[in-house]
Amino acid sequence: MSSDFISAGRISRGVAGKSFSAVEITESHISKIKANDEKIGAFLTLCEEDALAQARAIDKKISEGRPVGKLAGVPVAIKDNICTDGIRTTCASKMLEDFIPPYNATVVEKLLEEDAVIIGKTNMDEFAMGSSTETSAFRITRNPHDASRVPGGSSGGSAAAVAAGMVPVSLGTDTGGSIRQPAAFCGVVGMKPTYGTVSRYGLIGLASSMDQIGPLTVSVEDCALVLEVIQGYDKKDSTSCCGEYDKDYLSGSTEGIRGMKICIPEDFFTESLDEETAFAINESIRRFEHLGAEIEKVSLSIDHSDILSAYNVLVCAEASSNLGRYDGICYGYRAKEYENTDELIEKSRSEAFGDEVKREIILGTYFLSSSNYDRYYSRAVKYRTALKRRFAEIFSRYDLILGPTAPVLPFRIGEWVNDPVKMNQMDMYTAPANLAGLPALSVPCGTSRAGLPIGLQLIGPHHGERAILQAAYAFEQDMHKEVI
Amino acid sequence: MSFETIIGLEIHAELNTKSKIFCGCSTEFASEPNANTCPVCLAYPGTLPVLNERVVDLAVKAGLALNCKINHVSKFDRKNYFYPDLPKAYQISQFDLPICTDGAVEFECAGRHVRVRINRIHIEEDAGKLVHMEDEPYTLVDYNRAGIPLIEIVTEPDMRSPLEAVTFLRILKSILEYGEISDCRMEQGSLRCDANISIRPVGQKEFNTKVELKNINSFRELQKALEKEEKRQVELYRFDEGHKIVQETRRWDSAKGRTISMRTKEEAQDYRYFPDSDLVPVVIDEPAVAEIKNSLPELPMEKYRRFTEEYKLSADDADILTGDRYLSEFFEDTVREGAAPKAAANWVLGDMLRMLNESGIPSREIPVEPIRLCRLISMVEAGKISNTAGKEVFKEMFTSGGTPEEIVEKKGLAQISSEDALLEMVKKVIEENPKSVSDYRNGKTKAMGYLVGQVMKASRGRANPAMVNELLMKELG
Amino acid sequence: MRISKDEVIYTAKLAKLCLTDEEAEKLAGELDAILADMGAMETIDMEDAGNDTEAGMPRGVIRPDENVVFGDRDKLFVNTKSMRGTFIQVPKVIE
Repeated sequence: MSSDFISAGRISRGVAGKSFSAVEITESHISKIKANDEKIGAFLTLCEEDALAQARAIDKKISEGRPVGKLAGVPVAIKDNICTDGIRTTCASKMLEDFIPPYNATVVEKLLEEDAVIIGKTNMDEFAMGSSTETSAFRITRNPHDASRVPGGSSGGSAAAVAAGMVPVSLGTDTGGSIRQPAAFCGVVGMKPTYGTVSRYGLIGLASSMDQIGPLTVSVEDCALVLEVIQGYDKKDSTSCCGEYDKDYLSGSTEGIRGMKICIPEDFFTESLDEETAFAINESIRRFEHLGAEIEKVSLSIDHSDILSAYNVLVCAEASSNLGRYDGICYGYRAKEYENTDELIEKSRSEAFGDEVKREIILGTYFLSSSNYDRYYSRAVKYRTALKRRFAEIFSRYDLILGPTAPVLPFRIGEWVNDPVKMNQMDMYTAPANLAGLPALSVPCGTSRAGLPIGLQLIGPHHGERAILQAAYAFEQDMHKEVI
Repeated sequence: MSFETIIGLEIHAELNTKSKIFCGCSTEFASEPNANTCPVCLAYPGTLPVLNERVVDLAVKAGLALNCKINHVSKFDRKNYFYPDLPKAYQISQFDLPICTDGAVEFECAGRHVRVRINRIHIEEDAGKLVHMEDEPYTLVDYNRAGIPLIEIVTEPDMRSPLEAVTFLRILKSILEYGEISDCRMEQGSLRCDANISIRPVGQKEFNTKVELKNINSFRELQKALEKEEKRQVELYRFDEGHKIVQETRRWDSAKGRTISMRTKEEAQDYRYFPDSDLVPVVIDEPAVAEIKNSLPELPMEKYRRFTEEYKLSADDADILTGDRYLSEFFEDTVREGAAPKAAANWVLGDMLRMLNESGIPSREIPVEPIRLCRLISMVEAGKISNTAGKEVFKEMFTSGGTPEEIVEKKGLAQISSEDALLEMVKKVIEENPKSVSDYRNGKTKAMGYLVGQVMKASRGRANPAMVNELLMKELG
Repeated sequence: MRISKDEVIYTAKLAKLCLTDEEAEKLAGELDAILADMGAMETIDMEDAGNDTEAGMPRGVIRPDENVVFGDRDKLFVNTKSMRGTFIQVPKVIE
């Protein structure tokens, strides 16, 4: 399969240098999607005509000698919870089955400015609630490495589309691990930037305090390239970080990992961690050491069940409020029969939301209701504050934290779907970065005996994207050297 | 047993901004429903609020004008409930960290010195408007108002009569108008007032059950609604049925002149307030507060003091004038044009106020130019027209416009001061009233008044009375 | 038991979701399991955790008081199921 991969960097250089045209690239990717997606199920909407029109416009620019953007002709798939003007955006929910946004998310605008080609919208867990893409109201997405297994989630469609070579780049969203875990499951690179680095304007909110958009790519280099395009201050997002952004994360990367102080949290290596994953991570740690990193095993003294509880309370609470707007009045699904407006709202919501969404809304409502607020919500907020402080301490001594991305290997479709408690465990290594607003990346670090991908996670301090990307890049290069 | 009335108010005032609180949509009144909407105020999926900086400035200004403490860090919370006028299913408001706290307004009312403490001022957004169809089973939704910035001012229960509540609201309105914080158009809903009222026996320390009154949209209604509710509660206590007073919200029906129960405490919603993480905390530092403080104009109390000292107005006159920003500005503009303060005050508080009341025109839309009133005053003072004619000219200026000179000319109201013309009239009156003439000559000085009156009548009020008097004396020797 | 069926129904009502008796029963079991799993939270030591409002939040994103008109008015209501003129029409709302 790997011979099919062509990186975003190569495409944009090739298109700009007229080695091939944007239309050729777009057509070849569309035909790849048409040939493979029946089996994979990564896409919910394919924008064939719009994509070709965009590609033609880019080719025209080039033929007229006008400058083109950093992603010239690069086909990009967008997770279906990111708004695209005039293109159906469903959140994989019956609620938004026919919803046409009247505007583009800021990230989409930024991709278009750099001449990327929006090729389609990808499948996901309904409203990004889930870790397997199985809660989608529309279709199952299969793991390209083993079709009987899930691609992870909630950005499962975005990860699978890249892993299957249908696009070199996709965008996902990550509230508790929804980019990194599917990246790990599908063997691609996935990054959640520092909270506030990428505008959330146009991202259909799950938990506003933790949601962040990020790239899923074939390589670390592409990941850096895409992040450079989509990041930046946005005056439409109050939580957007102002200030200077690094425009070339991999510049001067010859130093690589040498001298980096990397913290290995002992807390991440408990009996709940899959053995093969633990083995692959330990191998990787040796590789990092070999590359010159100073490795230190430390206890973060954080309890995973506390993390998951706090994370769950915050996500459900915020989601219960964010999803209140789906009432069938101005947009979205409207029930067919109702006596009055109250019934219209109640029936529309009850008929259109799936079980997982209802479960999280009810839980969130429960956590916020006056009799439970202090016990759950206040506690979770305080826990988050304490966790932020704990991470700040760690990062005063270390450059990065290194550990597994997911506690398990990709599981079988249907295997866990009825066990929400177990499904929640999926976020145990990824959610801390969301709670603390930290940047984190998952990079492939090997495979299981059965050939299932394993992901390694690097977590950095606030705005530590550069260190993460440079370390991941050096690691990835070293891995490839060995393969060759 | 004698009872004491306890009243606290919650006032919503629309802030004076060009754009909505979290998006760029216009706050101007639009005749077309949903004309002033965008993805943000319609709560389209994926949209985010961004705070209008002027909203913060105006809220701080209100806080300073009401002697509040300004909180350097405040935050926004979501108040969650479902209603078709609320597109996000939550209202962005401030719950436990409002922008201003602990203020006070002091005034005199019916011989009592009243100090109304302000508990808090917080910022929030307005909801849309529902239009209920008369004969059809439909409601129509218009989101033009959704996202209009408001402040809610909450007082402590410091008012002891409906009159005190109305007086407080008048003062508050004038402060907000002076500060250009809000238009305060009660009739259009840009100033709305809810009232909490309870009754307790005089001497009792703790409060009894309170009732909240909603849907009050004028001072008169506030007074009426409170009086009605006061009476209802007092009667229940009198007949030992105080337990029938339950904590509830009652809607004032102005047409029927009574309150109707909307919901009791038991039915109250659980709003699940929690911080809105789409917005960052509002941080305002001391220099910014100082700058806003400097921008505060003279407020009603100061202006009152100045009017009594500088213009030597009576306490009552100054009170009424300064109670209304527009009236006070009109008065002062007229004086600046050269009118004598006393005369200007008399005209503004007399004819002007009467005409405003009769016509229903709000004081911010006074249809007369200060300079024209000033000229009218000087015409009267100079004797060019009589006082009566002056009133007629004013009425004409107010209703149809025009300069005082044009109106005097058109209506032929100019005072007759020509000695020849007056002498002719005087002679005629002497001729026609021999009885009065002889009475006068026999020492009945009162007859003089009658004769002057006759000359005035013959001139249809235009004769210069002083000259008429003089000429008559001369003729009668 | 941490959450009863009645509580589930009450909470669902607050969230404008209606559940059949069967659904409520099933959900109560699931939520109870989730809450039991979260029981750990009660032991979290929260003394002196500080105020999250102050911690690590970006500051100062605010906009000037200027009018920005959303250009494409036609697109605004393409998703709306029932309009009357430019009003959105819903069944009668009882106050």
